[in-house]
Amino acid sequence: MTSKDAPTQPQSQPINLSTLPIPQLTAIKNQLTQELQHLTTSFTQLRTAQAKFRDCIKSVRDGIEKKGANKAQEGGASSSKPILVPLTPSLYVPGTLASTETVLVDIGTGFYVEKTPPAARQFYTAKVEELGKNLKDLETIVQGKQGNLTVVEDGTLWTCTLPEKG
Amino acid sequence: MTAPNPQQRLQSLSEEYQNLQTDLQTQITSRQRLESQQQENLAVRKEFNILSDDSTIYKLIGPVLLKQEKTEAESAVDGRLDFIEKEIKRVEQLISDMQEQSEGKKMEVYQLQMKMQEAK
Repeated sequence: MTSKDAPTQPQSQPINLSTLPIPQLTAIKNQLTQELQHLTTSFTQLRTAQAKFRDCIKSVRDGIEKKGANKAQEGGASSSKPILVPLTPSLYVPGTLASTETVLVDIGTGFYVEKTPPAARQFYTAKVEELGKNLKDLETIVQGKQGNLTVVEDGTLWTCTLPEKG
Repeated sequence: MTAPNPQQRLQSLSEEYQNLQTDLQTQITSRQRLESQQQENLAVRKEFNILSDDSTIYKLIGPVLLKQEKTEAESAVDGRLDFIEKEIKRVEQLISDMQEQSEGKKMEVYQLQMKMQEAK
């Protein structure tokens, strides 16, 4: 079944939902559901990315800066607390940090930049904030789409309950 | 009007339409990929802007990190951004052409269906 599409209007003008036949309403509903699903997935992915950057901040603060501070206090590399380096997800070897002066930050597309721990933290904080902004924008869009979907669904119900419909 | 003829035509038409749709989907996917690449490169560009000139930049080439000058890295990213922009323009043109084509095919299919309905 090929539902006839209205000739594409140059400008998007409001269309009265109650004037649309049921097949078209269903098509719109499906499209909205699909869009909503895509947006929700993106939302989750953004959240995950944000959490990863938060972990980076935490690692830099607890793992590098604190250890660096200890080292400076007690003097000498040997006094810095040992860390466990994962060789595989289940195999660890003890080690000490050779340098807590700088860290190497992956800024994307294969570029890495040497940064001091505070600068690295700043970089990650900026990333988290940026993602937070994107998340907020996306949330508004998701809510809008959800609203549209509800309207279309209600419209479908309403049209279905009408005794005759052209 | 012979019966199998429009039937066959309808089949080949809808096949063509389906092929167009698949191609269109591929192009849309590559458009999305380009978009995310552009975003990533823009983020890197922004990071370079706030970086001091003497910062140490490494580029990942295969399994090795290679030290690179900031200007060099900047021009590499700029080059990529230019390329991506051009690619996006090209793919968008392709997408709109294909959309037009598939719209045309859809109408053809529809008209043929109507004709067959009338013939019955």
